Amino acid sequence: MDVTPPRNLRELFTGFLAIGARSFGGVLPWAHRTMVEERRWLTQADFAETIGLCQFLPGPNIGNASIVLGKRWFGLAGSIVAFLGLMALPFLWVMALGILYLEWASHPVVRAIVTGVGATGAGFFIGTALKLGRAIVKRPAALVLIAGCFISVGIGRVSMLVVMPLAAAIGIFCARRGWL
Amino acid sequence: MILVDLAVSFGLLSLIAFGGMPSVMPEMQRLVVDVKGWTTHAEFIQLFAIAQAAPGPNVLIVSLIGWRAAGLAGAIVALLAVCAPAAVLSWWVADLWERFKDSPWRRAIQRAIAPLVVGLILAGGYVLCTPATPDWRLWAIAAASATAFLTLKVNPLWILGAGGAAGAFLL
Repeated sequence: MDVTPPRNLRELFTGFLAIGARSFGGVLPWAHRTMVEERRWLTQADFAETIGLCQFLPGPNIGNASIVLGKRWFGLAGSIVAFLGLMALPFLWVMALGILYLEWASHPVVRAIVTGVGATGAGFFIGTALKLGRAIVKRPAALVLIAGCFISVGIGRVSMLVVMPLAAAIGIFCARRGWL
Repeated sequence: MILVDLAVSFGLLSLIAFGGMPSVMPEMQRLVVDVKGWTTHAEFIQLFAIAQAAPGPNVLIVSLIGWRAAGLAGAIVALLAVCAPAAVLSWWVADLWERFKDSPWRRAIQRAIAPLVVGLILAGGYVLCTPATPDWRLWAIAAASATAFLTLKVNPLWILGAGGAAGAFLL
C-alpha cells in the first residue's frame, strides 16, 4: 500500500479536524478511517502499533496519538497542530451540549434521560473491561490483580495514588516470574 | 485559586491514567465529588453522559467539570491539564519505546499493566452507576448496555439512545 504522510501542517490540521468532527460514538474507528483508509497517512500495521503504544501510555489515548504522530511528521509544531485539530470541534460540541443541558437540567424527564445515557456509558466500561479481561483472565495472578484493583478502588474508594504503585509493583513481579 | 487547583488535580490524574481515561474514572469521581465538591454525585454521571454522547474523545468530561467549577477558563485549563503531562511523556517515550521493543522489561510492564487496567475500568463502570444510595435501575441499564456492547455490531450511539429512553421510563 502506498503511504503518503501529510505534506504540510494544514493537511495535518484538517485531517485531525475531520477525525474530531465525525467521531460520534468513539474516536478510534474514525481515526482509523481517516488516517489509514481515506488519507493513507500510514499503514494498518503502523496505526495499530502507534495506538498500542498510546494505550499503554497514561492519559487520553487518542490525544497521545495526535502528539506522537504530529511529532513524527512535523516535530513540535506537528504535535501542537494535530492536538488542536483533534480537540477543537469536540470541545465546542461538548460545551454546547453542556450549556444546553444546563438550560433543561431542572426538567425531571431530561435528567432521567441523561442519567440513563450515563448508566449506558458505564455499561460500555463494563463491556470493555470484560472484552479486555477475557484474554488474560485464565491466569490466576491476573484474576487476583483485577479483583484487587476493582475492590480497593471501586468499592473501597481507596485513592489510585495508593493502589497503582502497589499494584504495578506486584504486577511487574508476577510478570517477571511468568505468572501473567 | 480554583484554576490552579483544577490544573494540579487534573494534571495528576493525567499521569496515573494508564490505559487511557476510563481507568482513571473512579479516581476522578472521588476527587471531583468527594474531595473537591466541584459537582454532586448525581451531576457527575450526567456530565459523563454528555461527554459520551458528544463526538470526540471521552476525556472532554474534564472540560465540563472545569466549566462547572470555574467557567470557560476552567474548561480550557482542565482539558489542557489532563492532556499536557501525558502529552509530554508521550513525546519523550515514543522513540524510547521503539528502541526497547524486544526488552523483557517492556514485555513485563505491558503484561503487568493489563490486569490493572481491566480492574480499574470495571471500577469506573461500577462507581459511575452507584450513587450515594445504590439504585438497581442504574445497574440494570448498565448491565443491558454492557451486553449490547459485547453482542451487537452497531454504532454505540444507538445503544446510548436506547439507554436514554430506558432512563426516561425507569428513572
